[in-house]
Amino acid sequence: MLTLLESLINGILLGGLYAVIGVGLSMIFGIMKQVNLAHGELMILSSYFGLIFGQQLGLHPLLALLFVFPSMFILGYLIQTSLFNRVLGKGMEPYLMISFGLSIILQNLLLLLFTPDARSLKTGLIIRSLDVLGLFHAPVIYLVDFAGGVLMIGLLHLFMKKTYLGRAIRASADDLSASKLMGINIRRIYALAMGIAAVTAALSGVLVGMTFTFYPHSGTQYLIIAFGVVIIGGMGSLPGTFLGGLILGVSQLVGAQFLGPGFQLLSGYLILLIVLTIRPQGLLGRR
Amino acid sequence: MIVSLLIVLATLPHWTSRYGVSVLILIFLYMTLASMWNLLAGYSGLISLGQQMFIGLGGYTLAVLSMYYGIPIFLGVLFGGVMSVLLAGLISLPVFRMKGVYFAIGTWVIAEALGITFSNWAYVRYGMGLFIQPAYKLSMSSTYYAALLLGVGSISLIYLLLRSNLGLALMAIRDDDMASERVGVNIFRCKLICFLISAFLTGLAAGVLYLNTIFIQPFEAFGIGWTVKLLFIVIIGGMGTVEGPIVGAVVFVLLQQFLSEYVGFNLIILGMITILVIFFAPKGIIGTFHEKFSVELFPVRRR
Repeated sequence: MLTLLESLINGILLGGLYAVIGVGLSMIFGIMKQVNLAHGELMILSSYFGLIFGQQLGLHPLLALLFVFPSMFILGYLIQTSLFNRVLGKGMEPYLMISFGLSIILQNLLLLLFTPDARSLKTGLIIRSLDVLGLFHAPVIYLVDFAGGVLMIGLLHLFMKKTYLGRAIRASADDLSASKLMGINIRRIYALAMGIAAVTAALSGVLVGMTFTFYPHSGTQYLIIAFGVVIIGGMGSLPGTFLGGLILGVSQLVGAQFLGPGFQLLSGYLILLIVLTIRPQGLLGRR
Repeated sequence: MIVSLLIVLATLPHWTSRYGVSVLILIFLYMTLASMWNLLAGYSGLISLGQQMFIGLGGYTLAVLSMYYGIPIFLGVLFGGVMSVLLAGLISLPVFRMKGVYFAIGTWVIAEALGITFSNWAYVRYGMGLFIQPAYKLSMSSTYYAALLLGVGSISLIYLLLRSNLGLALMAIRDDDMASERVGVNIFRCKLICFLISAFLTGLAAGVLYLNTIFIQPFEAFGIGWTVKLLFIVIIGGMGTVEGPIVGAVVFVLLQQFLSEYVGFNLIILGMITILVIFFAPKGIIGTFHEKFSVELFPVRRR
């Protein structure tokens, strides 16, 4: 019973991290109605950026974020303007394939530059765990991940609601033609949205780097996690993404508890497939 | 003209080097895999990112049957195809409920799930993989003829399919699926048939592929890398054309051979070429050829 509670709580904490991983994907789908298959690679790229900035400047990974955030924002902006904006309005396939091509390029570039060795962003937090009411242990790093996740999603929510840019982004998501008529420059808005999505990838990448070891090919497994989160919670819905993250985190850890550690990913996949079959628009999805 | 080409291809092993034969084996096998992917994506509107599930299953069926049960090799290949069809049938009901991008993700996740299952399974020696011992004794010629048969067979099959009533139905679905349903086209059945056919041939091709490489491992066999290559081939060649996969496979295999010296760069260059093709020639080599010259080697249009 206690182990179940531990898996549950840790699953929720992990879910916060998963939610941030998924939020970038969810944004792009909600706003541009496209699926960015390179999102996982953007995330892992951020992990490596965290590694470089941390090493070169001797900074704690969380502080290195100060450099990773702007770098990733610029990268996301450039990717949108140079690649995706060229196929605006041409449907789903070109975007899918370009993002696929991009993910291959990024993955192999990382492989070339950093070798297939396992890496991680070392902090003292991994080893420490919190004694919760003397009942079980929660790794401190999970708490940090969860806090980061809640913070990022909360800030994003506020941004979308209160700022002009946020409203412009939501407008272009709701009604493209009307937005254009109101004078919104779609290309710029999309580029900004992509930049923001890259920033969320940056946070999740650094957090993941601190929590787990990563390799150049880790992008794929995190992309699938992002999909899981977004599909379970519903594409295009911020609270849905958060909920999806929690559900996925819990299913993974509870599944691992009962079936064994090798089945952690599989438990998540099963839940994902079930949701895809029964209710593909997710729990809180809008389409 | 085609007959003479076939005669040339059939006698090839006798007057080409071992290296040339091995390259051609790859070309024919990738041609098969790609034309099956093309059947789904280009003609049935099913963009699958999970074809590797059949590749892995077909390869493992061959490995298990020939290693553990001593079943003759080509029978094992055949069973690989059969198992793939069974898998396709099994997942067809839930999977066809998923539309568009969800279908793509769903197929990908199923393939990943299978990969994890196999790597945790003692019966197939976990992630350590299996050697296909009986394949050592196989001559390259036999593998070549199997590959040739599959390559020619798959292209002919697609051509005949598209000229049949099924092909007419597929094009109707592609043009306007609601209208086609009204006229009496059973969309589910059409897609299912295409799905099963592609699963079968993919499973067969996988068997022959692993006859060639002799070693199979779960993460590579069920990995997304296969789809990456097939995507490249079909985009370069031209999605939704019969000749596209042929040209794409030739370009891909030759490019792979050429780039094999620059380890690590080859996939990057592949990715960049794919993106450039989408920008400048989105219909692929064959598609652009069709547009410019109005000549089709395998015409499937009806007048």
